[in-house]
Amino acid sequence: MTITTGSPPTHDTPADLARGLVTGGVIGASVTAFVSGCVIEKTSLIVMGLLIAAVYALAFFLATLPRRAREAAVAPRTALAMIESLEAVGGESSDVPVQFDLTVAPDDSPAYRVEVRQDVNLVELADYRPRGIVVVEYPPDRPWKARIVRRPTPEWEQRAAGARLDSAPGPVMRSDPVQGWAGGLLTLLGLLLGTAAVLVPYRADLFGADASRAAPRPSVSSSSSTTTVTSATGTITLGPGRSMLGQNELRSSVESLTRGHRRQALSVVVQDRMLTVVFSPTGVRSTGFDPRSLPFDRVQPLVEEATTTLGVGSPHSWQLTADGLTGSVTLRIVVTGAAGTGTLEADGQGKVTRRSSS
Amino acid sequence: MTWDGWDGFVLLWCAAWGGVALVGYGRSLAGMTEAQRTVRLTGRIERVREPRHGGSRKGGISVVVSYRDPVSGQEVTVTNDGERGEMITSAWKGREIEVSHPRDRPHAYRFSDTAAQPDRGTGLPNAAVFLAYAALVILVSVRQGWPWALIGFCGPWALLGIAYLPGAVRERTPRLSTLAAMDTTRGRIIAVLQDITVDQDDSHTSTTITPVVSFATREGTAVTAHCTSHLADPATAYGREVTVHHTSHNPVEFTLDRVAEHRSSTWDLALHVLMIVVLATAAVVGVALL
Repeated sequence: MTITTGSPPTHDTPADLARGLVTGGVIGASVTAFVSGCVIEKTSLIVMGLLIAAVYALAFFLATLPRRAREAAVAPRTALAMIESLEAVGGESSDVPVQFDLTVAPDDSPAYRVEVRQDVNLVELADYRPRGIVVVEYPPDRPWKARIVRRPTPEWEQRAAGARLDSAPGPVMRSDPVQGWAGGLLTLLGLLLGTAAVLVPYRADLFGADASRAAPRPSVSSSSSTTTVTSATGTITLGPGRSMLGQNELRSSVESLTRGHRRQALSVVVQDRMLTVVFSPTGVRSTGFDPRSLPFDRVQPLVEEATTTLGVGSPHSWQLTADGLTGSVTLRIVVTGAAGTGTLEADGQGKVTRRSSS
Repeated sequence: MTWDGWDGFVLLWCAAWGGVALVGYGRSLAGMTEAQRTVRLTGRIERVREPRHGGSRKGGISVVVSYRDPVSGQEVTVTNDGERGEMITSAWKGREIEVSHPRDRPHAYRFSDTAAQPDRGTGLPNAAVFLAYAALVILVSVRQGWPWALIGFCGPWALLGIAYLPGAVRERTPRLSTLAAMDTTRGRIIAVLQDITVDQDDSHTSTTITPVVSFATREGTAVTAHCTSHLADPATAYGREVTVHHTSHNPVEFTLDRVAEHRSSTWDLALHVLMIVVLATAAVVGVALL
């Protein structure tokens, strides 16, 4: 196999910068999607957040697989090296990172200078002194990736003990490229772009819901209806001449109260011209139900059935109450007439489950 | 957010891990897993370097190992420098040790401290099956009731424990015989290794103390080994004389306290049985609550 010696990277390449930008974008988008999905309770967004990260990690793994396989196939070479200088660069554990400036003297090629960073145990630190001889290993195609061998074979140990090396002139190759500010800036930019890419399409769901929770909306009046939405309730009163039993009136009223957020309701109360939705407190979901899931098409027949079959006489008023306190949605229609009060109960699909009158 | 919204995700999760498992088992059957493509050789420890007092346990006991390369027929000498597989914690000159490397990459050699059966490389697909199974159990538990979680998680573990129980009982008898027949010799703590790590988040410092004992067998084999149990106050044990009990044919099996080892063996079996009882009870409770 022919091994070509490359040159060490001295700074971030365009590919590194692009990878930083994309990585930042993926991190921003996946984290934002996951958190946003949890906030607005949207499963698809949560899954998307997880999938973005998983797919990118898989793509990165597959894209770097050939390079890693190529590098792993190259047998490292062993050589003697002389420590030009060394400097411990911090660390609080028993292994401290040390910056070594080495002259590496391969048997079959000219000596070269390299700067490497390697962890050294505190007890062994005294073994490494300037002008001291050590054994190093390096991949022949990337000589700047040299590594000091702590436990050389007896043969190399013997060679190191009796060796004397001269310093090689520079330039000094560095195993780690200098991290420029452009790389960090692009990663940050990617992070912001990724975050924005998720936040912008879902801004209405995210910030609309927050706004409605934070402060009651002012009442909106029109010629035909009056709407009042607070953090706890929403009420619509239809104008004269209209009824909640009219074509699509109830459905559109509920949807107008829940537009912009997806909060659960504790109860829904419907009278002839008025609709009141009591929202679940934020964070409490166990007793709530989605008010848009009510069987709107069944309301008008149920009210009609209650007023005609329960024997309350000429009816004066009716009221429908829907709640989910028992786990499933229950509709209760109470009609009051000259002859008394009657109650009709139905399940979440609008199927009658009980009738009573008094 | 209703659980219904998660069904698709859970099924996608199961399908993905199921796919990984199928590919893994297929590769295993075709003999293509990394474990199956590994060349396994027997090496011999030529030299044991004495650990330095106060040094690190990382990398294990420093040894020089030689083995015969099956391709060239030449003797190859290597050391356990860097990431070289299992940490060697017991060493003596002449000890046989497994050296393995990927096909065509002898420079990526690794050591194995314990002689293991050839691996078929089914670890990853087995893990994938477990992840898919766990997701299914969670899905069923949420839909059908939490008792299914008891049945789904505790039942299989209880069955697995029962399956392994006869082996554990069988192994205990020879283990006790081995303990009774151990040779006794004098040893010395020749080093106490110390590894300090600092948690980057809360700057909490933790220290791992590893005493190293050296003793000679009746045949004169000088053994150097990490000694992490049954030694009082290990941090100050440097230079201390200790009594070492070891099996004559394999000094890897040694202890400083035979009685404690005997007790530990009994406790291990009792714990095994207790775990089976707890898991089986939980599974039965799950069935009863359905």
